[in-house]
Amino acid sequence: MPDRVLLTIGTKKGLFVAEGSKTRRGFALRGPFSPGVAVYSALIDTRGTPRLFASSCNPFFGMKVLRSTDLGKTFAETKSAPAFPKEDGRALANIWSIAAGDGRKELYCGVEPAALFRSPDGGDTWTMVDGISNHEHARKWQPGNGGLCMHTILRDGKRMHLGISTGGHYLSEDGGAPFAASNKGVGAGFNPDPYPEFGQCVHKIAGHEDAPGRLYMQNHGGWANWDGPGGPRPDIGVLRSDDYGRTWRSIAKGLPSDFGFPLVIHPHDPDTLYVLPLDPPTRTCPGASPAVWRSEDGGGSWSRLTKGFPKKDSYFTVLRDAMSADELKSPALYFGTTTGQLWIGRDGGETWDCLFDSLPPIHCVKVAVV
Amino acid sequence: MDPKKSAAAAVTILVPGPLHVSAGGASRLAVEAGSLRAVLHEIERRYPALHRSICDETGAVRRHINLFVNDHHMRDRDGLDTPLSPGDVVSILPAVSGG
Repeated sequence: MPDRVLLTIGTKKGLFVAEGSKTRRGFALRGPFSPGVAVYSALIDTRGTPRLFASSCNPFFGMKVLRSTDLGKTFAETKSAPAFPKEDGRALANIWSIAAGDGRKELYCGVEPAALFRSPDGGDTWTMVDGISNHEHARKWQPGNGGLCMHTILRDGKRMHLGISTGGHYLSEDGGAPFAASNKGVGAGFNPDPYPEFGQCVHKIAGHEDAPGRLYMQNHGGWANWDGPGGPRPDIGVLRSDDYGRTWRSIAKGLPSDFGFPLVIHPHDPDTLYVLPLDPPTRTCPGASPAVWRSEDGGGSWSRLTKGFPKKDSYFTVLRDAMSADELKSPALYFGTTTGQLWIGRDGGETWDCLFDSLPPIHCVKVAVV
Repeated sequence: MDPKKSAAAAVTILVPGPLHVSAGGASRLAVEAGSLRAVLHEIERRYPALHRSICDETGAVRRHINLFVNDHHMRDRDGLDTPLSPGDVVSILPAVSGG
């Protein structure tokens, strides 16, 4: 019977693991694992006996995949990490996402420069998925501020959605071969054409198993006052699709900013979603006052959740993979900041507490009940 | 230069602490190689994880890794084609940087 809540916290200085009971009153911290090395992605794999995976992104010695089979008490490198074929010419610069595949051992990895790798054996061997990694667009994608990253891998049966910054949303309806750009309605602020076929700076995509045709997207917004070629393009930052990602429409109306990075769906209600709007120029909390915004009607309206947050003088950023929700009956949300704070929002985000306030800058936060 | 055509010399490789685990726990490796390129070839054959930490998948030495032959950085010699003599010491040193 799962009775513990486990958090993985990927930071600039390694991976931390926090463990608490289902009451979530307090968490014990351990780590850092892979000390001193940035961790950009993690997966708590609950298929069978839980295993933890994390990327260790070492600028000196290259990328590694770490695996734990004892709930994050120890980690060891897998036998190999994703690597481009020697003749490809590209070299791995970062690992941005790790996702579960079929069965108990299949894994997917999204990397920088944007490409997809598959492991059939729990991370010991990896092969590149040609359908997207050698897509005719792949050499035309451009890096965003964080690099040219494949950060989102969503699977729904044979359907696979990928988020690439800056590449856009790509969809395969046949298990990964082929992929097609699927960005109708997804705007780009840095392009004379406001709605290009591909090249959008998608920040995050999320889906829910109870609403398989529906997806939500946090796109790179903040272009309401753009006066360059193509003119202003308000509200392109938060989007929804109801046709498996073929077309998208804005749901940003009512938010203080359509710029942000993470987007999380309530684990038991596909109509409820959470975003963390940021001030576009600084990419920090609007008005220096943190708030998570929640919609309970699929993006039709938004409410501001602030209980427990500072009222002023807060200038943190929450990155794309740094917010998660647990799956308990009354779920809690968790997010980590670039200033090293880990926050918990109990009762679906109604009240917030800072669990840890002096961690290294946080890149990713994942949670599971194990 | 084809590493197989170089005259092999008995040299010592000094492995930095963070990479000992990828070298089977060793801090020093003894290899027979005629050039730095041949050293990397031999490391790839014997310790693939160590090689992956020194070179990326294109075969290039990683940006923050420096290879020295005795006291000389390879860039001041002939790069990976720097010839080796018996008794030479090849040091693998990560650059000091970060924050």
